[in-house]
Amino acid sequence: MGREVSESCVDSLVIEMVSAYCNRFYATKPELAARRIEAIGYLVGHQLSERYTIERPRFSDHLEAIKFICKDFWSELFKKQIDNLKTNHRGTFVLQDNRFRWLTHVSIDPSPANTDISEEPSLATAEGKAAQATSMHLYFPCGIIRGALSNLGIPCAVSAEISNLPACSFVVRIKA
Amino acid sequence: MIVCVAVVGHQNNPLYLQSFTEADDALKLHHIVHCSLDVIDERVNNPKKTGPTLNETFLGLLYPTENYKVYGYLTNTKVKFILVTTDLDVRDADVRNFFRRFHLAYVDAVSNPFHVPGKKITSRTFADRVSDIVRTFGLGTAV
Repeated sequence: MGREVSESCVDSLVIEMVSAYCNRFYATKPELAARRIEAIGYLVGHQLSERYTIERPRFSDHLEAIKFICKDFWSELFKKQIDNLKTNHRGTFVLQDNRFRWLTHVSIDPSPANTDISEEPSLATAEGKAAQATSMHLYFPCGIIRGALSNLGIPCAVSAEISNLPACSFVVRIKA
Repeated sequence: MIVCVAVVGHQNNPLYLQSFTEADDALKLHHIVHCSLDVIDERVNNPKKTGPTLNETFLGLLYPTENYKVYGYLTNTKVKFILVTTDLDVRDADVRNFFRRFHLAYVDAVSNPFHVPGKKITSRTFADRVSDIVRTFGLGTAV
């Protein structure tokens, strides 16, 4: 019973959602916008994990659930698996995706807008702004992972790190 | 005939409970469902079987009473489905099929954006679908 969704539609929806929350609803409070976007992701992950675990034996430990997120869950969402999974065996997992779908269309403009005066600071601020805008796009997938794991009975905190586009890694910290 | 179905959340909170009898025995059926929660806990915490049946979502016959048979199902998200039937000879495949369709209906119900996770399921569509599944139980209709 596979229902199909247009990839470009989902891409546009995610971009539009992030920009609506950052630039219109909470333009002056980026932390609040981030929390709202994360909360939407949480609900989505909560519902999707219910659907994708139908007809699957229950997970016996945390690692199995994380593996499910890396393999099957990620394949359902992005048609690819997580490229690298690292763990310290004490409740922290790093999920690395070398080509994260929702970052493939993000590019950081190398030339700053105004190059006439004081080049150095404007370059720095432009990069900082771009990095902040990119990180806004990662709150939604963070929320999805957190929602899915919470629904599977694993309370956790998820954060994201951008290395070099479009690669990024998600850090899952399981609450004891 | 199925007399009662129930959905119970991961904290043993009732999410959906529906009986299908004419007689005024809803309380008795609720009591049976309540008792079966302990049996499910016991099954899950002390698994006897090993191999492929370990951690299977379908828990099988929980316990037979004089008039009823109680079956259980535990999803990956720790939500329990309970089925109470008066039939004496129930085929395992029928029950599995029932729970499969029931699970699909449940997933659709909780994916409703107006449903609040952890709260009772009030969707009328879900109720209609459940009574439809209950009506066709054991008729051998492979859906």
